[in-house]
Amino acid sequence: MTISPVKIWRNQKKIQKLIGKEGKIVSHSLVYVPPIGFENEAPYPVVLVQFKDNKRYLAQLTDWNDNNLKIGQTVKAVLRKTRNAGDEGVIPYGIKFKPI
Amino acid sequence: MKVAVLGAQTTKFGELWNNSPRALLKEAVSGALEESGLKISDMDAIFVGNMLSGILGGQEHLGALVSEELGVSIPSFKIEGACASGGLAMHQAVLSIISSYYEKVLVVGIEKMTDHKPEETTSALMGAGSDEERAAGATFPSLYALIARAHMEKYGTTEEQMAAVAVKNHYHASLNGKAQFTFPITIEQVLNSPCIAAPLKLLDCSPVSDGAAAVILSAESFALRNKKQNVKPVWITASQVATDSLGLAQRESLTSLKAVVSSSQKAYQQAGIKAKDIHVAEVHDCFSIAEIIAMEDLGFYPKGQAAKNIFMQKTRLGEKLVINTSGGLKASGHPVGATGVKQVVEITHQLQGKAGKKQVKGANIGLTHNVGGSGATAVIHILRNI
Repeated sequence: MTISPVKIWRNQKKIQKLIGKEGKIVSHSLVYVPPIGFENEAPYPVVLVQFKDNKRYLAQLTDWNDNNLKIGQTVKAVLRKTRNAGDEGVIPYGIKFKPI
Repeated sequence: MKVAVLGAQTTKFGELWNNSPRALLKEAVSGALEESGLKISDMDAIFVGNMLSGILGGQEHLGALVSEELGVSIPSFKIEGACASGGLAMHQAVLSIISSYYEKVLVVGIEKMTDHKPEETTSALMGAGSDEERAAGATFPSLYALIARAHMEKYGTTEEQMAAVAVKNHYHASLNGKAQFTFPITIEQVLNSPCIAAPLKLLDCSPVSDGAAAVILSAESFALRNKKQNVKPVWITASQVATDSLGLAQRESLTSLKAVVSSSQKAYQQAGIKAKDIHVAEVHDCFSIAEIIAMEDLGFYPKGQAAKNIFMQKTRLGEKLVINTSGGLKASGHPVGATGVKQVVEITHQLQGKAGKKQVKGANIGLTHNVGGSGATAVIHILRNI
């Protein structure tokens, strides 16, 4: 499954609006068996975050340790490379959450 | 509403490297036809439940593939709704009969998953989720892990209670010769199995499987005059579908699947029964937590009460309400497009009294609960033998 560069470009508008938003972890998991493109990162945490406006977003937790992978942890949305670039060579950037 | 199930059969589920998808579907269909006493040339249409043939096998156009393989030229459709593809194919087949457009139809669910490496099947299955979830590297085990963590936080559900679901379903599968895993397991083995997506471990998860299941359906009037069938027909008295957001982040609740609550309530109403009237049910236990939440959403237990009752073995063979006599997805196997049809096969055989060692004594009313994605599609069928 290749990633379309056009799709990456189109998604940037959505991502821009999320950068810097703060919220709290409402649930979390640690992925040991990854899909294609994430093989080098496992195990990695996936968290569901509720922003102050009550909207929710699901993304990976970055710059984390065992103490902040927990329900109630305050986090901030940051821009990060999300997965290995495929044959197209366009690096897919997206949202990850960082504990604050 | 009354639609007859005239014949029902599954192949063995498992890692079937010797069997092609064409061989699997032929085996399931000929078994179901034999029970019904009908021939493939008697069928008016075919409904195929499948999710991954395109993305994994490069083969789409399954409607025509199935009719070609069976040697007929009748209308044939592939229905896709992730892991609820089989249930949706059943629903479409039922609609085609109650609309009187077709009189006798074949439903076949099929999936071939074990030919591919784990990263490929994991990615392909994520086709059932949202863009946001794929970008995060989320997997289906991790989405159900998020649901599990939220249920543990809200209701105090424990990893031991979740493990009890897998233990029960392996016990039932040990009585089912067609199941993928026919060996019993213990709570300790589940808790000590390798982590897939914390807090879910290997033995909390349904396996990657190959398999096919088929049923022959007909209009009530045909079933009453058909003298060829070898077994008494079973009646589908409700068929309901509901949908919800693809992604978990857009749901109203993490601890209940709204699509299951609404489709099951409509189904009970359509069949003129209540949850407590059900004797036997096949529920969608893709992960141990999913069976716990299903028991609550289907109205068998109040919210927060299912886990401890399952742990106390209240839903095991021999009890009043028996869940997943086939072994469920966990132990019978989960070839995704076949699962929703296999559930109907199991309930049909239970209601005909021909479920063998796993027979629930005196079962008259059964239910199937088939879920796509992390709860975005839910399909409920209610069947009875009188």
